[in-house]
Amino acid sequence: MIEQEIRTPAPRTGDRERRRTRMLAVGGGIFIALILLRLITGESDITSSGTMGATLALAVPIGMAALGGMWSERSGVVNIGLEGMMTFGTWGAAFASYFSGNPWLGLLGGIVAGAVGGLLHAVATVTFGVDHIVSGVALNILAPGVTRYLSDLLFTDEKGGGATQSPPLPSFPTWSVPGVGKPLGSLEKHHWILISDLAGLVRGVLTNLSPITLLGILLVPVSYYLLWHTAFGLRLRSCGENPVAAESLGVKVYRMKYSAVVISGALAGIGGVFLAMVASSNYQEGQVNGRGYIGLAAMIFGNWRPGMVAGGAGLFGYTDALQLRGGAGAVHAMLLLIGIGLLALAVWRGYRRRVVAAAVSAVVGAGVLVWFFLTDALPREIVTYSPHITTLLVLAFAAQRLRMPAADGMRYRRGGGH
Amino acid sequence: MSTTEPAVELHGITKRFPGVVANHDIDIEVAAGTVHAIVGENGAGKSTLMKILYGMQRPDEGTIKVDGVEVALHSPSDAIARGIGMVHQHFMLADNLSVLENVVLGAERLHGIGGKARRRIEEISHQYGLGVEPDRLVEQLGVGARQRVEILKVLYRGAKILILDEPTAVLVPQEVEELFGNLRDLKREGLTVIFISHKLDEVLSVADTITVIRRGTTVDTVRPGDVTARQLAELMVGSELPVPELRESTVTDVPVLTMDGVTVRDATGRAVVDDVSLTIHEGEILGIAGVEGNGQAELVEAIMGMLPLAAGVVRLGDTDLTGMATRRRREAGIGFIPEDRHRHGLLLESPLWENRILGHQTRPPNVKGGLIDRQGARNDTERIVRDYDVRTPNIDVTAASLSGGNQQKLIVGREMSGDPKLLIAAHPTRGVDVGAQSAIWDHLRHARAEGLAVLLISADLDELIGMSDTLRVILRGRLVGEADPATITPDQLGSLMTGAGEESAA
Ligand SMILES: Nc1ncnc2c1ncn2[C@@H]1O[C@H](COP(=O)(O)OP(=O)(O)OP(=O)(O)O)[C@@H](O)[C@H]1O
Ligand SMILES: [Mg+2]
Repeated sequence: MIEQEIRTPAPRTGDRERRRTRMLAVGGGIFIALILLRLITGESDITSSGTMGATLALAVPIGMAALGGMWSERSGVVNIGLEGMMTFGTWGAAFASYFSGNPWLGLLGGIVAGAVGGLLHAVATVTFGVDHIVSGVALNILAPGVTRYLSDLLFTDEKGGGATQSPPLPSFPTWSVPGVGKPLGSLEKHHWILISDLAGLVRGVLTNLSPITLLGILLVPVSYYLLWHTAFGLRLRSCGENPVAAESLGVKVYRMKYSAVVISGALAGIGGVFLAMVASSNYQEGQVNGRGYIGLAAMIFGNWRPGMVAGGAGLFGYTDALQLRGGAGAVHAMLLLIGIGLLALAVWRGYRRRVVAAAVSAVVGAGVLVWFFLTDALPREIVTYSPHITTLLVLAFAAQRLRMPAADGMRYRRGGGH
Repeated sequence: MSTTEPAVELHGITKRFPGVVANHDIDIEVAAGTVHAIVGENGAGKSTLMKILYGMQRPDEGTIKVDGVEVALHSPSDAIARGIGMVHQHFMLADNLSVLENVVLGAERLHGIGGKARRRIEEISHQYGLGVEPDRLVEQLGVGARQRVEILKVLYRGAKILILDEPTAVLVPQEVEELFGNLRDLKREGLTVIFISHKLDEVLSVADTITVIRRGTTVDTVRPGDVTARQLAELMVGSELPVPELRESTVTDVPVLTMDGVTVRDATGRAVVDDVSLTIHEGEILGIAGVEGNGQAELVEAIMGMLPLAAGVVRLGDTDLTGMATRRRREAGIGFIPEDRHRHGLLLESPLWENRILGHQTRPPNVKGGLIDRQGARNDTERIVRDYDVRTPNIDVTAASLSGGNQQKLIVGREMSGDPKLLIAAHPTRGVDVGAQSAIWDHLRHARAEGLAVLLISADLDELIGMSDTLRVILRGRLVGEADPATITPDQLGSLMTGAGEESAA
């Protein structure tokens, strides 16, 4: 939006409670909207357990990248190298699990490889003061080269392996919450309003889970706890907000930044493990395919806060799942929702006296609705790219009151205080 | 106190920066359990010396002894470990963290980061009358409240040696009184306080010993009983103590700024500026008196277009400013001296001449034919440096390397350039020495005679009364009274500001 930033004076209390209820309300609201959409358009894939399961699977790697980005940026280091760190993760997972035959060692391998990527980034940006973007891009260019070379060296002689892929890897056991799958499955088939939708959601989320998915979900509250409720987290965040002040209070800024960026790499590495060992059965070149960047978008959408970041990853996972499973019809149905959503946003902005923003939302919203009513399906090209288009739209419209860490991306020199 | 060793001994301290010697062969002894004031003109090297004692900068030569033991301070953690705490001249706070988080940062071992720490903060805040609310975001606080958070930060750590670098520059007299009461208590408990200020009356009333620094070296150490403020000023800058005063009235009846029913609401819908109407005429300085946090900051930001209006109109001359972007407002002829120079006034990491362009990036002498005119900007920066006596080796150093008072002079010089019609001045002489203060007042008087209208906000009531043609009092976002600067005393104004004399307002 080309609009001057005008801030509203903040309320007297930054209320955690209120934020939580608002998040629940937004989540519930979206779910109900989806149900209505299913009823109106008859696209049952909108809330089916299959879509929900796929959402989760597609959201996990994006979510890990996003969470990793959040850790790094909270300490003030922009991490555009997530893509490369994930690539390291996919390869590390393949290497460790294939040669040991143990999937759990694969997980460890992915984490270590990702963390090494993070360490490289930290050395460049923190110790040598290289521009964060430059270092990140360099890492993204470096990663495919290094993994190609190593695969060539280690995988070409193995059965099923080659310079661009690893042999088939051992897989993780999957797990379902006992006694949930069958009864919910039958409920879902009835297509009862709300009940079937809810059954689809719960069944999709609770059955056939891989341990990496569970780990990924668990890491969201864990990150929140570590960053907001421990001394370590406070110190880390202070480095992203005002490193000079942090240093003046005895915080070891370099050390905190190093930890954050290495953790960031490890998280991206877990995303890589998921791609190589859960979403597919072997490492392949180019497997990451931009998810590191989408993760960054999810992080921005999530306003650098874990709950919202996870929500952002869920959104991208969902659009991706929908286009894969429901195809053109389901994505087309989404236009209705987007159109109405934008119009609602326009009304809200009008109410807040933000005329330009309101007008833009109204015009785009109306355009989307017209598009919906005049067509029956979307061109295939657009369907395939709907997750990316969502990324763009979401960043352009929802990203109005984002607050990134104040010293994010700035070069920091020890003793450079004023 | 049982110990007879001085708490701090600095011997032969020398510190050089490219192009300047900030400290040169400094010798200071601070006796334990005393308040030791350090005074000196802007750029004399006071802050640098204190940063050396706090481990933020390394001296090139010299030794530091704490409690009789020679120490090497490599980082603030070393100083903290020896019981030294510092309130910096410029805030060292993270805006997006809560007050609680800012206070406990680095001292989590003491009381954790949760409920226990919150109780402790409330306790200290209560004990010293600081009125700090632990759960607010620092971003929402005004300069006075930030200053109190900074003070609380040091108290929370239980430091034995306190360094206070201009802690009172933005506090109103009542708050200063309170702080001094606390300092005396601390002293009684055996703490040592090193105190920097440009307000010489304050220094004389609170200090046990005063050291004067001039051009980076100690020139004299005196006892407050032996000198007057005037003699102290002469020791410091070799000039007389200036008095803020306006001679004849230059007020005309041409309105420059007109505000009508202006209301600003915060996100909860509370009116932080409530139905404010006022007019400033050509050649008039209108002072707003008020305890900080009563809407002054929001009022200023509303005029500058940094906050949206919930109701009302703002006009500059005949132009309606409502809905206009900040840059357009500045182009229309508004100069702005912000209350917090680091937050709004400067790009610390940029050279002075780039800072000259800031906020004037569309106007000559910075622009020629739509492009930035480097040479023009540089020449004009040289002019500001000359006219406003900004002490700097050259105009290519970063703004961060200027001393606090010199940064302020640069901003004042910049905002007075380009013949503004209206100047919004929040604490215009914050942190500048007595010599420079009188120079800034001269510039203001001169511009006023040429027809400049000024909205003046200051915690220094003498300045406010002396420099205003008209005085309005703001309380909880509303203009509650008017006072005649010719007759009112600082005490009377102080009680008007707290609402005590609301009905007696003339
Ligand atoms: N980081 C730095 N780099 C270069 N020069 C510096 C730096 N810090 C301070 N100086 C210079 O050292 C001198 C002393 O500065 P200092 O901040 O100690 O002055 P001060 O006595 O605190 O003045 P004020 O009253 O204005 O705060 C000034 O000439 C300043 O320009
Ligand atoms: Mg100073």
